[in-house]
Amino acid sequence: MIKGFLDTSMVDWPGKICAVIFLGGCNFRCPFCHNHQLVESPDSPLKSITETVIFTQLRPLQKWLGGICVSGGEPTLFHGLIPLLTRIKEAGFAVKLDTNGSRPAVLRDLLDHELIDMIAMDVKAPLEQKKYDRCCGTRVDLGAIQESIELILGADISHQFRMTVVPDFHSSRDIVEWVGAFPAGTQLKLQNYNPATVLDPERAGKKGFSPEAFTELELMITC
Amino acid sequence: MGVVMQMQSGSAKKNFNPISALESTDLALFVRTSGEDILGWDRQRIVDALLRETYIDRDTADRVSIAVEKTIQSGAVKTVTGPLIRELVNAKLLELGLEDARRMHTRLGVPLYDVDQLLVQHNKENANVPHGPEATNLTLAEGIKKEYALLHVFTSDVADAHLKGDLHLHDLGFIDRPYCSGQSLEYIKKFGLNLPHALSMAKPAKHAEVLLAHMVKFAAALQSHFAGAIGWDAVNLFYAPYLEELTDKQVHQLAQMLIYEFSQQAVARGGQAIFSDINIYWEVPKHFENVPAIGPGGVYTGKTYGEYEKQAQRFAWALFEVYKEGDAAGRPFFFPKPLVHITEKLFRTEGHQDFLNLICEVAAQKGNTYFVFDRGDTAKISECCRLSFKLEASDLEDAKEPWRMRYSALQNVTVNLPRLGYKANGDDTRLFTLLTDQIGLAVKAHEQKRKFIERLMSLGKGGPLSMLAMDLDGQSYLRLHRCSYLIGMVGLNELVKVHFGQELHESDEAMKFGLKVIAHMNIVCNKMAERTGMKFVLEQTPAESTAYRFAKLDMSHFPVETARVVQGDHESGQIYYSNSTLFNVGAPMNPIRRVEQEGLLHPLIEAGSITHVWLGEANPDKVALADFVTKTFRYTQNDQIAFSPEFTSCVACGRTARGLTETCRSCGSDKVEGITRITGYFTKISSWNKGKLGELHDRYRNDNCFQQNTEEVAQ
Repeated sequence: MIKGFLDTSMVDWPGKICAVIFLGGCNFRCPFCHNHQLVESPDSPLKSITETVIFTQLRPLQKWLGGICVSGGEPTLFHGLIPLLTRIKEAGFAVKLDTNGSRPAVLRDLLDHELIDMIAMDVKAPLEQKKYDRCCGTRVDLGAIQESIELILGADISHQFRMTVVPDFHSSRDIVEWVGAFPAGTQLKLQNYNPATVLDPERAGKKGFSPEAFTELELMITC
Repeated sequence: MGVVMQMQSGSAKKNFNPISALESTDLALFVRTSGEDILGWDRQRIVDALLRETYIDRDTADRVSIAVEKTIQSGAVKTVTGPLIRELVNAKLLELGLEDARRMHTRLGVPLYDVDQLLVQHNKENANVPHGPEATNLTLAEGIKKEYALLHVFTSDVADAHLKGDLHLHDLGFIDRPYCSGQSLEYIKKFGLNLPHALSMAKPAKHAEVLLAHMVKFAAALQSHFAGAIGWDAVNLFYAPYLEELTDKQVHQLAQMLIYEFSQQAVARGGQAIFSDINIYWEVPKHFENVPAIGPGGVYTGKTYGEYEKQAQRFAWALFEVYKEGDAAGRPFFFPKPLVHITEKLFRTEGHQDFLNLICEVAAQKGNTYFVFDRGDTAKISECCRLSFKLEASDLEDAKEPWRMRYSALQNVTVNLPRLGYKANGDDTRLFTLLTDQIGLAVKAHEQKRKFIERLMSLGKGGPLSMLAMDLDGQSYLRLHRCSYLIGMVGLNELVKVHFGQELHESDEAMKFGLKVIAHMNIVCNKMAERTGMKFVLEQTPAESTAYRFAKLDMSHFPVETARVVQGDHESGQIYYSNSTLFNVGAPMNPIRRVEQEGLLHPLIEAGSITHVWLGEANPDKVALADFVTKTFRYTQNDQIAFSPEFTSCVACGRTARGLTETCRSCGSDKVEGITRITGYFTKISSWNKGKLGELHDRYRNDNCFQQNTEEVAQ
């Protein structure tokens, strides 16, 4: 179910102007989630948006947009994902998918159908059960996460692995460990936690890293 | 100004000798001593002044002087001063119904209370004027020159239109100067720093640093002769012949010096930084390709500018690296404003994508970059908040000897558009008639200013504008016959709302009506230009204070009509009209739609337009931004765009962070200074007038488009 639409973004696809489609529903409950309204689909307070409305809005922007980013929630949970992406591709747009990597089978399907041109996967923590579960607010199948990472690394499309860092959840050792899970040269990105409007402010903490501390963390993933 | 001289009773000096009437029309030293004795008093002085300054006859003058003498002798006045006598004479002239004579005999000055306020309070008409003794000097002088202009340079219909707020005559306090100036470095490269009445004369610079020193001093000298912006054409290209011997590090150093020199000039006139613009090209503009280059010592290097592409690029790159760093506290540099020309040739020039990415990174992080779009064969030189001079055939001829390229707009007059809407009362014919009349009045104002400047220029090198009269290349520096005359507008959006019922962004029909208004203004300007031989061109008025002034005046003259039209917070008085032809700053519009739609008006506004994209604290991806800029060039008619981030600079810890916050995010101190773009330049928010504060509050910051605040941690 489409729960949100942004017709222009210059931050969601590195190097491109894109539109963003937000799909409702998520199998994770990260305490520091920004989009909790999208998480709780189908009970989300957000009204659904029809595909027709979206495609009507996209038409005049066609020559400006480098593609459409499909985000969430967790898009791979959405039953209509393949028809939606097919329709986007047929309309002449490139597709970027944001995923948490919990459903490798869906990813494989999308890659086989050549429905995505870029993929960004959130790898929430180093691949250790306890840490990962804590960051996701639920029991996570690490095998599936690992499988998704390998699938993406092996695919012939551009990709990026991201982690939102939260002071109470991620130590600098965690980051070193996290980086170690990827082969050298992989596109990695850290995002600083912003305490405004999160799912669980009690558990997530009141502050993100200071700009200086965050810059230091960023340096750890570049060298 | 009048000199007050008070003498105590009994201390009169027999040998008191009043100054000669020829020395001063103020006749400052009439001194009442005690009883019926008035030392130095000579009634004849009143008669002389009246005969010299007005057209009244000797008998009337005599009568007036006798009457004034009686008043003084009646003893009601304890201290007699020149200004007081003048006012007594004026009162008498009024009594006699001699209004014209009173006008001619009037005295310009400032009440004591106002001076006291001024010396202590901060003048916020122009956020680029700090508070200090130099600034108050400037304000006092401006005040008197403004009065002079309204009484003596302009006819009363023009002056009244200004005072009532139908029109705004910009920079009246600088009545004896042209409005702004755009020029080429070639002038000082060829002739050195050789100013009339200067204490010393410098030959053409042999080294890049010396050229920079000449440039800065010349800019300061120009600032003393123009009211507004001082712009420089193709700066990186004209420096190029001086850079061949320099290492990259030295070029970077030079770029740093240039930017710091212009950004720290707040020690000049009125404590005001020179409003400086540098035009920058990645490519060698077509009209300079085959021009012989002037190098060190003012001599031709034997090469053309086309051969200096790499050196020019090296300098352009270094300048933007310095902009990216910001000042010592990480704040954006306020001046000089870098205007990068985006042309067809740019996209054919090697390395353009990397350069675009760099200038977009600067735009995203610091906001400095202005993207000026020169489509097709257009070539222009840009300056001020958005002003540009399109180069015509004769200018391109001048380009062969680029020191000849100097452009000036003599004056800027802005029409209060919403007021025409209130007056037209929904009647189209009446609206367009009123608009034509207002432009006619603006034209009249321009003719009167031109006449006045012509008079000053006719005094040549011995006159007050000697610098503008210098003729090192055979013609005066200010080429009066080539000047343009700007006609601007404020509040198109509100006019459309009053007259059409919707704001510009609300429907295609509203937009069409807006286009019709501007097209009409454009046509009338062209007709007037044909008729008078003067170049009248439309410009989007930056309207830093005019957008506030018009709104304020209209609120009092049209209290009912304005209630639903004037923008901002009516209660707090932070009210304003939308600048020029800009859309409602608060309308939640996609930036693509904004540059497209606002851009539809730009081709009609020949002397320059801009679309602002307010960024708040967002930091968009530089490559995506470069794509946005490229597509704006390809797919729209937009003339110029700039991205405006906001900053909070902490006085306590010296750190600068993005976004406007009440306390420092690093140290928590509340001693912070907000910084962002006001109309066409960056400045501290504490210096803004109330209208602009209202606008700042309303600005739509495109948060969704530029800020990662939604999708990132959802999965």
